[in-house]
Amino acid sequence: MASALKTYGTLIGFVLVVLFFWIEIPDTFMTAKNWLNISQQVSMLAVVAFTMTIVMVMGDFDLSVGSMASLAGIVAALAFRDGHGVWVGVALALGVGLLGGLLNGVLVAYVGILPFVATLGTLTVYSGLAFLVSGGKTIFGRDIPTAFSGFARSGIPLADMVSLPSLTIVAAVVLLVVWFTLEQTTFGRRLYAIGGNKEAARLAGIRVRRLRFLAFGLSGLGAATAGLMYASRVASANPTQGSGLMLDAIAAVFLGMTMSEEGEPHVAATLIGVLILGVLGNGLTQMSIDSYVREVLIGSIIVLAVASSSLGKTKG
Amino acid sequence: MSLLSIQDLEKSFAGAKALGGACLDVRAGEVHALMGENGAGKSTLIKVLAGVVKPDTGSIAIDGAPVAIGSPADALRLGLRFIHQELSVVPHLSVAENIFLGRDYPRRWGVMIDWDGLNRRAAAVLAGLGVTHIPPGRKMARLSVGDQMLVKIATAFQDASVDGDAPARLYVMDEPTAALSAEESQRLFAVIRRLRAAGAGIIYVSHRLDEVMELADRLTVLRDGATVATRDIAGLQKLEVIELMIGRRFAEGYPPRLAPVSGEVALGVEHLSTGYLQDVSFEVHKGEILGLAGLEGAGQSEVIRAIVGADGGHDGAVSLAGRPVRIEEPVSAWAKGLAFLPRERRQEGLVSSASIAGNVSLPHLDDLVRFGLVLDRAAEAEQAVDLGRKVKLKSKGPKQKVRELSGGNQQKVVFARAIAGPPEVLLLDEPTRGVDVGARYDIHALLRELTAEGKAVVLASSDLPELVYMADRIIVFRDGRVATTVSTEGLDQARLAALCFGSPAAPSA
Ligand SMILES: Nc1ncnc2c1ncn2[C@@H]1O[C@H](COP(=O)(O)OP(=O)(O)OP(=O)(O)O)[C@@H](O)[C@H]1O
Ligand SMILES: [Mg+2]
Repeated sequence: MASALKTYGTLIGFVLVVLFFWIEIPDTFMTAKNWLNISQQVSMLAVVAFTMTIVMVMGDFDLSVGSMASLAGIVAALAFRDGHGVWVGVALALGVGLLGGLLNGVLVAYVGILPFVATLGTLTVYSGLAFLVSGGKTIFGRDIPTAFSGFARSGIPLADMVSLPSLTIVAAVVLLVVWFTLEQTTFGRRLYAIGGNKEAARLAGIRVRRLRFLAFGLSGLGAATAGLMYASRVASANPTQGSGLMLDAIAAVFLGMTMSEEGEPHVAATLIGVLILGVLGNGLTQMSIDSYVREVLIGSIIVLAVASSSLGKTKG
Repeated sequence: MSLLSIQDLEKSFAGAKALGGACLDVRAGEVHALMGENGAGKSTLIKVLAGVVKPDTGSIAIDGAPVAIGSPADALRLGLRFIHQELSVVPHLSVAENIFLGRDYPRRWGVMIDWDGLNRRAAAVLAGLGVTHIPPGRKMARLSVGDQMLVKIATAFQDASVDGDAPARLYVMDEPTAALSAEESQRLFAVIRRLRAAGAGIIYVSHRLDEVMELADRLTVLRDGATVATRDIAGLQKLEVIELMIGRRFAEGYPPRLAPVSGEVALGVEHLSTGYLQDVSFEVHKGEILGLAGLEGAGQSEVIRAIVGADGGHDGAVSLAGRPVRIEEPVSAWAKGLAFLPRERRQEGLVSSASIAGNVSLPHLDDLVRFGLVLDRAAEAEQAVDLGRKVKLKSKGPKQKVRELSGGNQQKVVFARAIAGPPEVLLLDEPTRGVDVGARYDIHALLRELTAEGKAVVLASSDLPELVYMADRIIVFRDGRVATTVSTEGLDQARLAALCFGSPAAPSA
């Protein structure tokens, strides 16, 4: 019993949350339209959480993802304002994300600063940069090309009135790429080994520093992608846009980790974590419940999930 | 009446039986050896006694009265003390704090911790074991594993009547000497004899038969989780014990050389120096086993680690098959055909959350890819199964987590990793630590096969007979320098021991 609760507690919790809203909001909650809507709402969080999973597999954290997402959105918007095309803006934003991530990687892997401290520092730096280059103002309106903002509104029509949102597709692609990387390649296998025992991994011929460096680069890239998605969705960019992402992303990975026997992060489990947060947000909003209540609930759920997963771990 | 009586313990882990009919009877004032192959269930039985593992069925009685041991605190209350096989220390606390963990620290004015008093008491506890070289204020993480083991032992031995625990009556030691040097072991034995004379019971687990025959009064043999025999040591032959353990006839000893050493140099080391090592030079030939001997920490491990680049830079030159190579990180050592088996399997060797296959394949992942980046899991599992069979690994299969294996079987996983490939030169630091006699023989036979194929082996070991019988030549280290090099032709263990201690009158060959 205890062991079932340990492994499936989070999944059971997810099902209960879904059942609750299904009963409370019978007309609109359990519809294809609402679920597609949820998928779009969580797509940005999903992308950040998926790439955050990569660094957390090694036992590291990236606290800078939220401010990196904001910075990437600003960079793209500034490029648009200066008359550059959509692809130039997107490429610049992704480049900034990759570089920012690699800078985290240098600090953590080569300089040897604890990830918590290093990325807390860069969190502030990237956030400050976003304010600096934007002048603290929101960039919106005609500065944002419709080809860019239209992307978040587009989708693949499925039936009348419902379509699969493009943002959802992006998140799904990132999910597949991260899953493939972590679960199917030797790169992923090495990351898990580093997470399990850094010293043993190094002595067994794994380039621990290089891999940590690269993984942080991927996390930065994911953050920038999410920033672009956000900017496209709201057709604007401001320097605090991404700030909510970091805590939710780490929470999603933690929720997922409770589902694995070893307490290892796996990206498929992170997806469940993201969905729990997304469904809660969607359902509570539909029930017009105060957003502070949502925060209290989400916090409690995380604590509960982690507590239930450590049940029985103290004894063999 | 017996001090401790265990009847018909059974314990399964997810369907796999670890104990099935284990019985054990220990008297006050005896050293009782618990013997068995790797995975026989010794540590599991001990964990049951310690309240760490819950048995499925079975009964435990102390002084004839049945007891229930539901937690480590229960065991402590009953007067049981444990030294577990796998070290559990708090690395960022000091030695003294580790010794007094969970007990009341001495205080000053009722509130402040009296650190000096704490350290003094810890030093006294250590001195009781004849240990004076470990400063009680030092962080645990900075000690060698051997020293950490000494601290754990001291912790178990400290006067137990503090805090109202029952006085210690039974000491349980699971391979305490596996990480100790010969002198440290002797000191431990002296303490054990003292405890025995004072009327305590001692359960003692070790794969070193010689020390068991020397120390124990009786022994109980476990095979596949069941007790097969309890005997008096007096009048018992070593070979009988081995045959009880493995359940078949066994010729004790070492496998013979299969081929002569070639003249070609496989690995050359010239003027190697690090912070500790001073100007170490030697050559290993193809087909040769070069032994590294010396007292604990005299430089054997350091040489191996320096060659594979485990500790960063060093002065001096290393060459492979005559070609100079630069190795600054272990990754390039593996890539150049050097295999490295580190001394501490749990800290340095294994990713215990990963599977057997995942641990064996770790340095060889590049040979196990399809389409440039996809891990070929089938080939990986096949490699693990294949090598697992060679080293007599006892497991449920290549996917089993290493964490679930017995100590000796974990060691076999590290060894399997080192011979996968296969490499040209093997650098092995205590490769048979914690491995049972039967599997040890198989590992030695594998080394003979590898050298017959022209591989070169560097073998650091604190097990002197292993060096004398397996190596062709032995380098003796003293304080980070090569003291002497001897051929094993006509060498006996006593002379090698004298060389390690630095006694004069030992001519070099
Ligand atoms: N937590 C666990 N989960 C699954 N199997 C386990 C677990 N702990 C032990 N086992 C299994 O129980 C068996 C007995 O293991 P145990 O550690 O008691 O052996 P041992 O006699 O101490 O061996 P060694 O000499 O190698 O230390 C082994 O087959 C081992 O794989
Ligand atoms: Mg054991």
